[in-house]
Amino acid sequence: MHTTPPARRLRAVALLAVGGLALTACSAGSLGSSGDDSGDGVTLSMLIDNSEQSMVPMQGVIDAFHAEHPDITVEMETRPQGSEGDNVLKTRLATGDMTDLFQYNSGSLLQALDPAGNLVPLTDEPWIDSVDDAFLQAVQSGDDYYGAPQNQASAGGVLYNTQVYADLGLEVPLTWDEFMANNEAIKAAGIAPVIQSYQDTWTSQLFVLADFHNVLTQNPDWAEEYTANEAKYVDEPAFAGFRHLQEVADAGYLNSDFASIKMEAALDQVATGAGAHYPMLTFAIGPMVAANPEAAEDVGFFAMPGEDAGGNGLTVWPTGGIYIPKSTEGEELEAARTFLEFLVSPEGCDAQTAAMPPSGPYQVEGCTVPDDLPAAVEDMTAYFEEGNTSPALEFLSPVKGPALEQIMVEVGSGIRPAAEAAALYDEDVKKQAQQLGLEGW
Amino acid sequence: MRRPGAWLLGGVGIVLTTVLFVVPFLFIFLQAGKTAEEARLLEFSWPSEWAIVENVRAVFEARDYMLVIAFINSTILTVASVSVLVVLGSMVAFVLQRRRSRLNPVVDFLILSGLIIPPAVVPTIWVLQGMGLFRTMLGLVLVEVAFGMAFVVLLIRAFVSTIPRDLDEAAIIDGAGPVRLFFRVILPLLKSVIVTVVVVQSVAVFNDFANPLYFLPGDENATVQLTLYNFQSQYSTQYNLLFTNILLITIPPLVMFLFFNKRIVAGMTAGAVKG
Repeated sequence: MHTTPPARRLRAVALLAVGGLALTACSAGSLGSSGDDSGDGVTLSMLIDNSEQSMVPMQGVIDAFHAEHPDITVEMETRPQGSEGDNVLKTRLATGDMTDLFQYNSGSLLQALDPAGNLVPLTDEPWIDSVDDAFLQAVQSGDDYYGAPQNQASAGGVLYNTQVYADLGLEVPLTWDEFMANNEAIKAAGIAPVIQSYQDTWTSQLFVLADFHNVLTQNPDWAEEYTANEAKYVDEPAFAGFRHLQEVADAGYLNSDFASIKMEAALDQVATGAGAHYPMLTFAIGPMVAANPEAAEDVGFFAMPGEDAGGNGLTVWPTGGIYIPKSTEGEELEAARTFLEFLVSPEGCDAQTAAMPPSGPYQVEGCTVPDDLPAAVEDMTAYFEEGNTSPALEFLSPVKGPALEQIMVEVGSGIRPAAEAAALYDEDVKKQAQQLGLEGW
Repeated sequence: MRRPGAWLLGGVGIVLTTVLFVVPFLFIFLQAGKTAEEARLLEFSWPSEWAIVENVRAVFEARDYMLVIAFINSTILTVASVSVLVVLGSMVAFVLQRRRSRLNPVVDFLILSGLIIPPAVVPTIWVLQGMGLFRTMLGLVLVEVAFGMAFVVLLIRAFVSTIPRDLDEAAIIDGAGPVRLFFRVILPLLKSVIVTVVVVQSVAVFNDFANPLYFLPGDENATVQLTLYNFQSQYSTQYNLLFTNILLITIPPLVMFLFFNKRIVAGMTAGAVKG
């Protein structure tokens, strides 16, 4: 028999168990340079989503801020996007473990955080008057404003290949009928008129979400009526979004691989001219140009066309906000306010611009964008300069159902007719409205 | 004499293994070798130029060498949780199986509820905060142990029931106390099922995403699974770096499997004999 002496074996097992627990006392800590140069000043932590569009410009602001205020160090912490990120954020708010500053969407998603209960009001800050009203509305709760604008506004509309338009002699459509006529001509030339990318299901929603300016031109009170359970998606004017996607799909205008490609591939198609139109948010312009440098010239942008040319305008997503949770106190709170003051100033905007080319106009007075931007960003900025913009529905009403993207994929794939889909979506939002405790549901 | 069917069966087995295991791994490897422009096409093709060295370097350097910290954290987490799980789990299983009492149904119910009832995040954090364990590695280890315990106890308990009681009795007659009985007689016999537990739980803890995300927040506390989010976001994903990262963090479990290959198979079949 080959046995170890009992005492030794026992000791080995005990060592394993105790050692296991003792190991947990070690922490890898920080290997790199972060946090070493803070000295005896204040250190602020900031939770931000992990997208390049959020991180890179914010790092630029942080560096510029540190140069001006050497006694305050700001450290970024990242979180995933989407529902995982929402959970992280809500968990940390609920347990009082939030960072000193954090970044999050404005609009209806912000309302879900209960701003009045969880956040420090910023209404009396010196910079508040220089911020665009559209953004302030999106971070308002009761009489107070709770957020500072994070970066630039973006918009939903259609990215289109200008080369294809030039070759076929087409013009930017102002109405849905003109858009469909263009599609007909593009299809005849052997190019996919409309690109969809249903492996990223969220991209399917643009036909409905980006159409909201057109809804508002026909009924300016639609958002309030919708919140009060009076207006519905099954009825015009809002039904147009669903109907349009079905029309495009029925006419065979979609790219052949619409069901299986991801957003990156769809952006490639519109950049190279394999497809002509891609309904998208302007967030995507930056990554598209980074991957296809020629897209800076060859891809333009227009608002989702509606019923009549006079009402043509753009549906806008105000930028996300930077917020201070109530758990930030004392000198950290003072430092956080100082940081926001820097962020919402022309120097703050310039620091962002230097870090990453902006994808739209800043929502701060006195901030300018450089001239050499991609054509699509310039097209978008033109709508802002003319004032032909409306905020997206999620900034006017807290009601947004979770299943819109799946429903729209069904419409685009021809599985469900538009009328049925709109009815299903109305049913989908009902649960959410009841959860929020809105009146009339 | 060879039966002709054996060839066919073997062939089908090889093809299936290739399709299910080798092809995805090859895909990861090929993507990890490509440049950013090529990788974003997500094609199953040979890279026109190998960039794997640059990619590996970029992945390691990302966010201030976060991956290195993450590897250290994940190793500590996995080793600590699995050690505690194995020792504690086999003790509980032994006592539960050998000493019947009126408490047994209650304990059984608690263990089963550990499998059935999903854990809630916010109350767990409150408990951890109350004990001063939130944001500590020890806290996360205890969470992993708690979540893995039910499964481990059930698995080992089934195995203990296959060990004849005569062994216990012989040891007791020879003068062994309960502690010595467990460590000298029972634990060595549990070796095969313990290997199974170690492998299954190591993979589970190493691959865990949600628990580290909620219970151990902060960049300095990241585990390897969380580093995947360095390269993946809603509007842009760096596929070459993402796949390089996947490749790098797949290696430790793979090495472990190669090491323990024989024992894992033995452990699996040993545990499966009796329920």
